[in-house]
Amino acid sequence: MKRREFLKDLTVGSLMLRISPHLLAQASSYPDLAVIEGESPSLITKEAVKYLGGMQHFIAKGDKVLVKPNIGWDRKPEQAACTNPDVIKTLVELCLEAGAKEVKVMDNPCNPARRTYVRSGIQKAAKEAGAKVPLPNKHKLKKLAIHGDSIKDWEVYTDFVEADKIINVPIAKTHSLSRVTLGMKNWLGAIGGNRNQLHQNLDLAVIDLAAFFKPVLTVLDAYRMLIRNGPQGGRISDTKLQKTVIAGIDYVAVDAMGATLFGINPKELRFLPLAQQKGHGEFDLEKLKIEKRTI
Amino acid sequence: MTRFPGEDYIGRVEIFFHFDPLLALTTFIASRALFALFLPAVLTVLVTLVIGRVACGWVCPLGSLHQFFSFLFKKTKLLKPKKGKEPQIAWKYYLLIFILISSLFTLDLVGIFDPLSFLVRSFTISVLPVVSLAVSNLMGILYQVGLTSLGDSLVQFFENLDINIVFLQGLFIGLIFVGLVLLNITRERFWCRYICPLGAFLGFLSRWNVLTLRIDEDKCIDCHLCSIQCQTQANPYPNEEWKSSECIYCFTCSSICPTNAIGFPLRLAPEHMKSIDLSRRKVILTSFLGILAAPFFRIAPTRTRASEKLIRPPGALPEEQFLQKCVKCGECMKVCPTNALQPAMTEAGPEGIWTPMLVPEIGYCEYYCSLCTQVCPTGAIQELTIEEKNKLKMGTAWVDKNRCIPWKFGNPCIVCEEHCPVSPKAIKFIQNSVEQPDGTIRTAQAPVVDMETCTGCGICENKCPVVDAPAIYVTSIGETRSERNQVLLDLLENEQDPYSE
Repeated sequence: MKRREFLKDLTVGSLMLRISPHLLAQASSYPDLAVIEGESPSLITKEAVKYLGGMQHFIAKGDKVLVKPNIGWDRKPEQAACTNPDVIKTLVELCLEAGAKEVKVMDNPCNPARRTYVRSGIQKAAKEAGAKVPLPNKHKLKKLAIHGDSIKDWEVYTDFVEADKIINVPIAKTHSLSRVTLGMKNWLGAIGGNRNQLHQNLDLAVIDLAAFFKPVLTVLDAYRMLIRNGPQGGRISDTKLQKTVIAGIDYVAVDAMGATLFGINPKELRFLPLAQQKGHGEFDLEKLKIEKRTI
Repeated sequence: MTRFPGEDYIGRVEIFFHFDPLLALTTFIASRALFALFLPAVLTVLVTLVIGRVACGWVCPLGSLHQFFSFLFKKTKLLKPKKGKEPQIAWKYYLLIFILISSLFTLDLVGIFDPLSFLVRSFTISVLPVVSLAVSNLMGILYQVGLTSLGDSLVQFFENLDINIVFLQGLFIGLIFVGLVLLNITRERFWCRYICPLGAFLGFLSRWNVLTLRIDEDKCIDCHLCSIQCQTQANPYPNEEWKSSECIYCFTCSSICPTNAIGFPLRLAPEHMKSIDLSRRKVILTSFLGILAAPFFRIAPTRTRASEKLIRPPGALPEEQFLQKCVKCGECMKVCPTNALQPAMTEAGPEGIWTPMLVPEIGYCEYYCSLCTQVCPTGAIQELTIEEKNKLKMGTAWVDKNRCIPWKFGNPCIVCEEHCPVSPKAIKFIQNSVEQPDGTIRTAQAPVVDMETCTGCGICENKCPVVDAPAIYVTSIGETRSERNQVLLDLLENEQDPYSE
């Protein structure tokens, strides 16, 4: 086989692979997105996963699962800078019920991990549900090929590569550069190195990272979302009770739906149309099958 | 040991310092204030008055450490105690007089020589980081050979110890520590014999104690073993030469005596024992030196003009009072969750060496943390709740427009704004268009600092992607503790909540 042919095949093949789950999902009876509103973070999470076919649809028996919340900041749950601990707890329980061998919950925060893990309430909640909650360990940082258009290689925590399945559980927040931080931007928490430099080309960086980590499921926590002073907030008045989670296989679709919670048209967010062009998902909500429920 | 359990408030880990009467006395004298923190030191004084320097032999952790190394050096034959003339033990007494006199002139040098300060500082800045890094290197090897689960559990264990590993002067302070440990090769417990001013202080107090050494003349065979093996030059033989001020009651002499001739009977009417003979001339000379020390240490301009790099921890007293109270123990540096607090070298002047300062290039002040204020043994850093702390300014951030990515290149960045912990943020944006060398014009959101809300925590400097010399940096100006180190006069006048209706 010639090199050029090989590369061509590789490109076509990988594109097929990337699009196929999306196509499969459309072919099935399950919706692309489940948007569930309700009083209990735990119940709406369960409900959202149920509409997508239940956790066994994503997790096979014996899988090693990594649940990636946003534990970026030394902030309490009511400040909405980190993912809601109940959402994480519920997802861990669902994974274990579906037969996962091991569930890890981890993030590489901006503030010291020991503090953020505690104050966010996520460490306690995840441990109670039976997950391992390791601190980011510098010995597990490895420079890996990202194969992106803007990121060629970067230091990644190998926990994320070693897991059989990854579930991304971001929280909906404002951000002064990408306007909002949702699922795709959450992958900056899986890497090390001088990641702050990625901000110079953030839209492309998050597309590359999301494609690299390929979560099987994205659950966007918008139970309490951060509507200003993001991505850290601080005051309760910076947050808004939306009591919603958005779940889907297509992370571009989840982020597009998440943008609407802030009153933003998805096509205004540069990284969404770009991600679609590269074949990572669908941002046009008109074309998606969306299950909206209030419980 | 001070470590952070993940909670906002920790117990009185600094209490050990409060049993130290020398720290108490000098801090009282230098700061012209009595405070109740040091009440436990009274106990040490009373115990020493009654039964002598038992604290030196049985409690002092630095004493134990020197004892351990002396033991090691004896076992390895590096140290061979011999009979013969021993050096003057009087040096530590002169040092004590010097420290006390200089503290009278508000110069607090005790922290450099106090055994507890010395020990905690050396461990925080040098010993623990070295151990921690060595273990980390070993763990790296574990991972390389594939023992990941063992590595994981060890990493978790050491993470829980929460040891800061980056320190300015780590090597310097480490070498002083190693040097003093190695001096045990020349004499057992070298520090305790010749240097320790706390030992000297307790020595003064112990001259009338009731626990006195007694040699049974009938049994004694004049072998001198007791005096040769004495850990501190207390000179048990001949009996009347025994110095109660030097004896730390290790009971080496009584256990080594081949005929069991030595005992320590209680005497309710203690007889006068051989005391340290200080020469009157030298005492006067030392006192003069103590008087001269204060101006000598203050030729530098640090008291008249604030240093831009000298960002003190939150809650630090105004500089003059801070220097009178800080004993350079390093507790605050040890407990800082981001490793931001570092020992000063020249930034605070000669008298401020090893006092804490915030170095944003290494760490930053964590918004919801007031641990350093809780562990300070002398109140040089006042104890604050997190809410109180967050009302204080340690300094102010400045943008270097010549280096800032949006200001200079017109590229997006916003990293400093993203990390700014206050709400509303102290870093705001203006649109900046800048012409590039090729003639193109680029526009990006460029950071500007709101002097009013900036606390000087330094996270912006710490996280700035321009890593060598950050494009946003904090200097001490605007710090709440100083009246003079201010820049805008009307800052505090219109404190308004921008979100209130």
